[in-house]
Amino acid sequence: MTAIFGLVLLISCVLAVSIGPVHLEFANVVRTLLGRSSGLSEQDRTLLLQIRLPRVALAALVGAALATSGAVYQTVFRNPLADPYLLGAAAGAGLGATLAITGTGRTFTAALPIFAFLGGVLAVLATFLVAGKFFSDPSSLLLSGIAVGSFATAIQTFLQQRNSQVLRPVYSWILGELTVADWQSVKWAAIYIFLALAILIRISKLLDGLMLSDEEAFSLGISPNKIRMVAVGAATLATATAVSVSGLIGFVGIVVPHIIRGITKKATNRALLAISLSGAAFLVLADLGARTLISPAELPIGVITAFIGAPFFLFVLRAKRGGIQ
Amino acid sequence: MISVENLSVNYGEKSVLSAINLEIPAGSWTCIVGPNGAGKTTLLKTLLGMHPYSGSIKVSGVEVFKDLSRNVAFVPQRPEIPMGMTVIEYLALGRAKLDGWGREKRSGRLLIQKTLEETQLVGLHKQLLTQLSGGELQRVLIARAIVQEPDVMLLDEPTSALDLHHQITTLNQVESLKNRGVTIVSTMHDITLSAMYAERIIVMREGKVLLDGPASTVIHSNELKMAFDHGISVHTLVDGHTVIVANKIRSELI
Repeated sequence: MTAIFGLVLLISCVLAVSIGPVHLEFANVVRTLLGRSSGLSEQDRTLLLQIRLPRVALAALVGAALATSGAVYQTVFRNPLADPYLLGAAAGAGLGATLAITGTGRTFTAALPIFAFLGGVLAVLATFLVAGKFFSDPSSLLLSGIAVGSFATAIQTFLQQRNSQVLRPVYSWILGELTVADWQSVKWAAIYIFLALAILIRISKLLDGLMLSDEEAFSLGISPNKIRMVAVGAATLATATAVSVSGLIGFVGIVVPHIIRGITKKATNRALLAISLSGAAFLVLADLGARTLISPAELPIGVITAFIGAPFFLFVLRAKRGGIQ
Repeated sequence: MISVENLSVNYGEKSVLSAINLEIPAGSWTCIVGPNGAGKTTLLKTLLGMHPYSGSIKVSGVEVFKDLSRNVAFVPQRPEIPMGMTVIEYLALGRAKLDGWGREKRSGRLLIQKTLEETQLVGLHKQLLTQLSGGELQRVLIARAIVQEPDVMLLDEPTSALDLHHQITTLNQVESLKNRGVTIVSTMHDITLSAMYAERIIVMREGKVLLDGPASTVIHSNELKMAFDHGISVHTLVDGHTVIVANKIRSELI
């Protein structure tokens, strides 16, 4: 089953690098990617290898990070509506990005990913500090997440009001963008995201234990709060990295895990690898839509994920309910 | 099998269990009774190793907080029901530790199959947990504990959500485990049922053990009545069975 999702991802990637305002012949793309000589001109080769490929790679990384983190948050908080931004990562990253954009000079703009990353991580840490009791009371953790998120958003709005010239870049960042993708950002995103995903997939069976009551988990030899700490830590690392290179792309973290659980009919985290691969494929295709639907202009990718994701999600929910009856 | 020495548990400043000493022999059924808030569930969870404690709790000679690998199963009173999870997936989770959290082993699958038959769950294995009735869910909880192949099984109010018929089928299930050598410790509100199934009864009140002894002795003791502020009474029916009821319904029963 997982192999099928891998194949879907591979096909999505090859499609995505072939299609665009400049159409590249599919066979030539495959040949170039396999390192063979092809009929692509030097210009098309550069377009493929330096512009489209890093962008597709980044979309795949971000998609995998958000979908997997979403699935993990849903398990940890025993809440099907949990998403990767739940503990303030989005608002914190938004504040970080706004600080970078309102800061003067090119240095700040170049440092946007670092600001967004730190903002996201610090907000989640603040949420834990405010909640105080870590996981002994998940609802107080969720409420702290809301409070920290609102606080960060308030500062962000204040900064925007004071610097109205930044409204447009901040807004476009909030809607998500992969336009700045280059190999440099792919490289550093890949390091953190692969590390986080490796941890999460490694502990995926232990995460299953968290779906039971803490007493049952304990009797299975799991220390629930330790696993929760590791899981939330890794998911936050993946989310903050994703947000820092792509802005806030909504919906992936909720929709993809539910769809894949629906398809694989597995409630357990055994579907986690499939969820990673599908999240990657989903975002690669969404980004393809963002680039091509109103070409040569671009749509924000967040619009596409919600536009395709929401109806598809409803369809899956209905089909699932029908199946149960 | 389980030996508890001078056990105390505090929640912050508040003492919830104090100076508890117990010796629970292997392969026996011990029932903890007492009013709400007596510390029954806390004692059960502490035996599982979930709460920090002072004193000593040894299961098969090993201090519990040192050893997460010990084989103690727990059947909670209010389980979490994972959404979208089927009966068979839930039972497989019970097996996960013995399979080293790796790929499911054949022996585990066979035991799960056998347990499904034993607990009359055969036709239900693909059902979602959320679709089960109270009685079915309780059987699933116990089935999950059985596939853990535990040395000790702790049950928190295993009958509280069940009708009279299902109370008996559930307790019979637990009894057959005891007959196979599993040490059973349960909390139960129904003292009559406790006395029918358990060899031993521990009476608790305000975090302390008031009395600990053979079921037949404990149910006729003054300590039992004291634990419930003399709000209960003990009656022997014409067939020789003993029932313990709340004072208010005594007149109607006799």
